[in-house]
Amino acid sequence: MTPTEENAVREQAFRRLLRERFGVEGEADAPLPDDGVVIDRAHHLELAKALHKAGWQLYVTCAATHFPPVPAKKPTDATTPECFEVATVLRTVGRGSHTARWRVRLATGESLASLVPVFVGADWQEREQFDLVGVHFEGHPDLRRLMMPEDWEGHPLRRDYAIDTPHAPWR
Amino acid sequence: MTAIARARAPRPDPFLDIDNYDPEADLMVMNLGPQHPSTHGVFRVLLYLDGEIIIKAVPYPGYLHRGVEKLCEKLTYAQITPIVDKNDYVAPMLNEQAVNMAFEKMLGAEVPPRALHMRTLIAEIQRVASHLLWLGTFAMDLGGALGGGTSVFMYCFREREAILDLFEKLTGCRFHYNTHTVGGQRHDIPAGWAAEVHRVLGAISDRIGEYEAMLSHPIFLKRTKGVGVIDAQLALELGLTGPLLRASGVDHDLRRDAPYHIYDQIKDLKVAVESDGDCLARYKVRVAELRESIRISRLLVDNVPEGPICGGRPIKQPGQFKAKAGQVYVGIETPRGELGTYLIAGGGKMGDTPYRLKIRPPSLHALAVVPYVFPGHSVSDAVAILGSLDPIMGEVDR
Repeated sequence: MTPTEENAVREQAFRRLLRERFGVEGEADAPLPDDGVVIDRAHHLELAKALHKAGWQLYVTCAATHFPPVPAKKPTDATTPECFEVATVLRTVGRGSHTARWRVRLATGESLASLVPVFVGADWQEREQFDLVGVHFEGHPDLRRLMMPEDWEGHPLRRDYAIDTPHAPWR
Repeated sequence: MTAIARARAPRPDPFLDIDNYDPEADLMVMNLGPQHPSTHGVFRVLLYLDGEIIIKAVPYPGYLHRGVEKLCEKLTYAQITPIVDKNDYVAPMLNEQAVNMAFEKMLGAEVPPRALHMRTLIAEIQRVASHLLWLGTFAMDLGGALGGGTSVFMYCFREREAILDLFEKLTGCRFHYNTHTVGGQRHDIPAGWAAEVHRVLGAISDRIGEYEAMLSHPIFLKRTKGVGVIDAQLALELGLTGPLLRASGVDHDLRRDAPYHIYDQIKDLKVAVESDGDCLARYKVRVAELRESIRISRLLVDNVPEGPICGGRPIKQPGQFKAKAGQVYVGIETPRGELGTYLIAGGGKMGDTPYRLKIRPPSLHALAVVPYVFPGHSVSDAVAILGSLDPIMGEVDR
């Protein structure tokens, strides 16, 4: 099989897994949305375990994003509340390497299960996202800041964190 | 149980409880870094030593954190390329390619064949330059006496200098090129450049054997063989990629396995794999890659197709590109492994800047291996291991 064909086989397996076990809507073989599937936060660790077992062995990255509250346009509309999104990317190794990625939405104050029990590489990635975006990972063995000084206040990669926020003694 | 045996138990515990460690042991705490020549930048590792043997290592990155990801949220797509140059300053061309490929995927921009060919060629020449710098600094890390003082280091820098000259002729810059853009390249190949590439790479190719001979030395073998073994399982779980993963026996190279640019047209791309997972295996993999990249570059430089180097209109105003809301992930193979870009575009009013740009640096994952491989080794071996990981602090901390 060529790398492209092997990649397609993996893609089918990924779609089927998501639709059959993790409640993603649509036909079993239908393409997934271009911007990644959204998974319920209760399924996060379970999905990582299932993918690890099925051959997605390489932990690639995770990226947390902050979406600040959006004020209502009309007085009758409700304000869109603040939320966070954590995207995770895994990969198969060898020919036709396939990337599996999914997203989890979190409301303010909600935490996400840590992937450290499955992939030890999640350790530093989750620490970095905790440091810069302020998402809490439950079950992480050592959740400390990775990039910023330990006594830093706030999370710099939040969208409402201004670039010129004063901070002693660094400015 | 000796300190070595205890620390080399199946997989060292990075969260070892020092307070309840053997009360009779002669413990010492030592900082390696942040300013130490062998840390390849500003990086601190807190070492807990039992005699001379490391029993626990706690790394502290972040000294070079400059907020590149935050800065990218304020810049338009066309303005980001020169910023990411400074991440992995040893292979800046690959940084530019990684972000621009993500932008092209997001914006649906077409890249003409000549530009794709040029990108592949540039990537391979850059890989040669990056591995040469690694080879020189690694020989230095092992102690200046190897290969006759700093000779290997100086020779490798001489060769790398010739490659920087090639890039200067191509782009006008020696270091931070800003030559890739959304949809193609900014600088076309100048007349006579192909002959220069053949001359420079031919000379380097002839001399690699000499450097290998200088380093095939009983002391070099003693310092590298069996030192810093990373098993394949740990390498995969930690997300190690590139030469580190291949030195641990996993046959994985994005150039062949998930081809981008024109790598799918290079049918006989040889991927170097070693099974030992020690410093020597990492050295062998990189030297083999050096040869392979030279071979590919010399093949590619002769048949660059004619045509435009950039699709679409030239960039005249910063906000020229407007993206719809969406998310993409693109990963490419740099000399250090998979450099990924996770891009989230906001769309609408925020369409001309990324909403969030997450860079996945291979070196950050490489350094995460430190707490697992340092225990059981002496401090001098720690320096050798750190050198063999080839971390670039600019991309670790961003």
